[in-house]
Amino acid sequence: MTPALLTYNIFKRGKGFLVLAALTFILLVASSGAVWAAVGCDLNDPDRDVARLFPESTGYKTIYTSIAQKGGEKLLAKIEAGLGDRFHGIYETIDVPYTIYEIYSSKKRIGYIHGVNQKGQYGGIQVFLVLDLEGRIKGFYIQKMTSRHAGKLRDAAFGRQFIGLTIREFTDYDAATGKAGGKIAGIKNPAPEAEADFRAALRAAKKNLVLMDEFVYKAASTGGIQK
Amino acid sequence: MITNFQVAYKNLLRKKVRTLLTIIGIALSSWVLVSLLGFNRGYERALNKDIDNMGFQLMIMAKGCPYEAATMMLKGGTGLKYMNKSLIEDVDRQPEVEKTTPILMSAVFDPNKGESGGIAGYFGVEPVSFAAMKTFLSFRQGGWFTDPNAYEVVMGYEAAELEQREVGDMILMPEKNVEFRVVGILNRTGTQDDGTIFAPLGTLQKIFDRPHEITTIGIKVKKGADSAKLEAKLYKLPDVQIVSLQQVKDTIMKLISTAKVMVLSIAVIAILIAMVGVINTILTSVWERMQEIGILKTIGAMPWDIFRLIWTETLILCITGGILGVVFALLLARLTDILIRGVLPYAPGGGLVLIDLRLVLTTLVSIIVIGLFSGIYPAWKAGRIRPLEAIRGDSGR
Amino acid sequence: MSGYAISIETQELTKVYARGNEAVTSVDKVSLRINKGDFVSIIGPSGSGKTTLINLLGCLDNPTSGELCLGDRPIFGKGNNLSERDLTKIRRETFGYIFQNFYLIPTLTVIENVMLPLTFYRKPGTENEPLRLLKLLGMEQRKDHLPAQISGGEMQRVAIARAMVNMPEILLADEPTGNLDTKRSVEIVRVLKELNQTAGLTIIMVTHNNDLAQYADGLFEMRDGRSYEITEKAAGIGSAGAAQINI
Repeated sequence: MTPALLTYNIFKRGKGFLVLAALTFILLVASSGAVWAAVGCDLNDPDRDVARLFPESTGYKTIYTSIAQKGGEKLLAKIEAGLGDRFHGIYETIDVPYTIYEIYSSKKRIGYIHGVNQKGQYGGIQVFLVLDLEGRIKGFYIQKMTSRHAGKLRDAAFGRQFIGLTIREFTDYDAATGKAGGKIAGIKNPAPEAEADFRAALRAAKKNLVLMDEFVYKAASTGGIQK
Repeated sequence: MITNFQVAYKNLLRKKVRTLLTIIGIALSSWVLVSLLGFNRGYERALNKDIDNMGFQLMIMAKGCPYEAATMMLKGGTGLKYMNKSLIEDVDRQPEVEKTTPILMSAVFDPNKGESGGIAGYFGVEPVSFAAMKTFLSFRQGGWFTDPNAYEVVMGYEAAELEQREVGDMILMPEKNVEFRVVGILNRTGTQDDGTIFAPLGTLQKIFDRPHEITTIGIKVKKGADSAKLEAKLYKLPDVQIVSLQQVKDTIMKLISTAKVMVLSIAVIAILIAMVGVINTILTSVWERMQEIGILKTIGAMPWDIFRLIWTETLILCITGGILGVVFALLLARLTDILIRGVLPYAPGGGLVLIDLRLVLTTLVSIIVIGLFSGIYPAWKAGRIRPLEAIRGDSGR
Repeated sequence: MSGYAISIETQELTKVYARGNEAVTSVDKVSLRINKGDFVSIIGPSGSGKTTLINLLGCLDNPTSGELCLGDRPIFGKGNNLSERDLTKIRRETFGYIFQNFYLIPTLTVIENVMLPLTFYRKPGTENEPLRLLKLLGMEQRKDHLPAQISGGEMQRVAIARAMVNMPEILLADEPTGNLDTKRSVEIVRVLKELNQTAGLTIIMVTHNNDLAQYADGLFEMRDGRSYEITEKAAGIGSAGAAQINI
């Protein structure tokens, strides 16, 4: 007897209300308590910020995802391998929510904006990358940073150094040790006194690209990490 | 054998759209009733929890608007003016007072928060007296600072999460350019403490150049003591105002209760309208089935059997609609919560719509009782049908 | 068997209706006797009072005057004044009814329609009656169909089964073939005939169809509210040989 037939028979015999009552009770018990989620990284004012960061855009769509949701431990291992560093501490975890802004010009998708949290010397750093459909950086934006020299690192001049870079260039950057090669070595630190925050910004950029590669670009088959 | 119940619900299935619309009407009124009753209880409970979680029943603040101040306290804002810390000794002397704790609320502007910057707030506290007030506070990592002049902070759960801080990390106070070491991270409390950074009182007084000054005194009243008498005495202190959180709660509840009465009236009206719908549906159905009812009487149904049949139809409509409404209310409790939060001037933390088994049963019982009452007239009418007149109505012979 | 399952006997049974300011005598001092096991037809033109008579015989209506007994139990008259409740009790213990319009419940299946009377009142020993009757009437295969899915003739068979499920003493059939074609009409009357002969069921049938009326053993003709027993069936209606048995 299939569940559907069983349900029909229960209702036919007039005991349907018992089933309904039981379902109600289960719902009651199940729907209690709030779910506490880890903190994500969203734009403070998406309408304003998307228009500013991606001037060609006419609209955007917001997508929420996490490593836990997309592939769990297996995916985390891939991402750590791509990053070249383990996820640290109590805030860089598998269930951190990520917000991806899909950018549109009319109905055509033209790029993405994505932000990540990174531990800085004195506080959390929120690093947003503006990306085209091939995964190339079009813009670099630090929404939040706590540092005596935050002004220099948040300056447009610093961000311009990242434009045109892709995940391929970042394979020359060792996120664990901070050793940089290739084009990454060419990125100048405008605030040598804030070396830790500079390295944190680089790590954040690489993490951002690795995550986007796994969440978006690999899924759309537009290249991946060269091993 | 075929049961009364089966005959009844098959009758309802005869006019599916009509039955469905009637059930939807009842479901909507049931949903409204459950949500509103749930909100009444949830709001009061959440408000009580917020106020209890303050730890203090009374607060002394420098003179200004008490309700604005209280609401800002509850939302974790800063105080408006300063008082001398020595005032706390006057308060401690009162026999009704069990404990006190001084607080200095300070704020700085952080230009690197977003595009246009933001405020960063800090609470200067004495850890011993503060922790004694808020006994429910517990630590995720570390513990309170011990040196009253140390450059150490304890962070609320969400504040730490936003700054990605763990015990041992450093934070930087913008504007003042001062570094602190994180010595403790609190567990989530569901109150404004989650977003607060606590520093030693003495340290903040030094940084903000407010020696011997505080913004607030938190007071815990002895159990059984006359709180009103204490308030009256405290009012005599110069240049301060007393904020009784009980008063704040009472005021907020008074503001809400008018709305509650109005809203409950709406719920009752919604139910009455739904019940009129039920009466109409059943009466129409009885009228349409007059011959059939006449035939039922010829095949052995007594007036009470017909009455029971029609009443059962009413019962089925009410139970189905009632349960459906409750399910809507449960599924959409979160949405209702968000909507209410958007509308209310002050919404405490925690769930605002509190729906438990007792409330569900109360609503269902109410709807069923009202429904049964509505069903009496149509059922009685049906029971009185004389078989011959009913059958003759068709034949015209 | 109930105490009065022997016959129906009436004495000057009369029914007068008010129609506006006029009083219309629909049944005029009818006295008759129907024995247990009789298959009786009541014929007559439209407006002759035959339906009114069968309604009185079946305790569906109260007479204006006169007496009616079921067996030796007085029902109407002789100082009796039974309430609608009492009449319902008598009806369900004694009678089964079938009508021209079948009146099956459209939302119930064939077998559910037949079982329906048992929901309200059940004589002992009737548990298996629904299925047995459907088998007997050739409707077993259609037991899970709805009335809309069967023909008129089949619906009347179901109505017969429903009327018989509580093992009544007397079956009253008011124009049972009124909505059927000739073939199906004959089928139904034959079914009634068979029930009468095999089960000894007393059947009173009202019909305007004289040919079908011939299947009965006894014939009453109604004319202007009065009933006449026709002793020679072949003679037909209104001919010599028809005798009024009114006292």
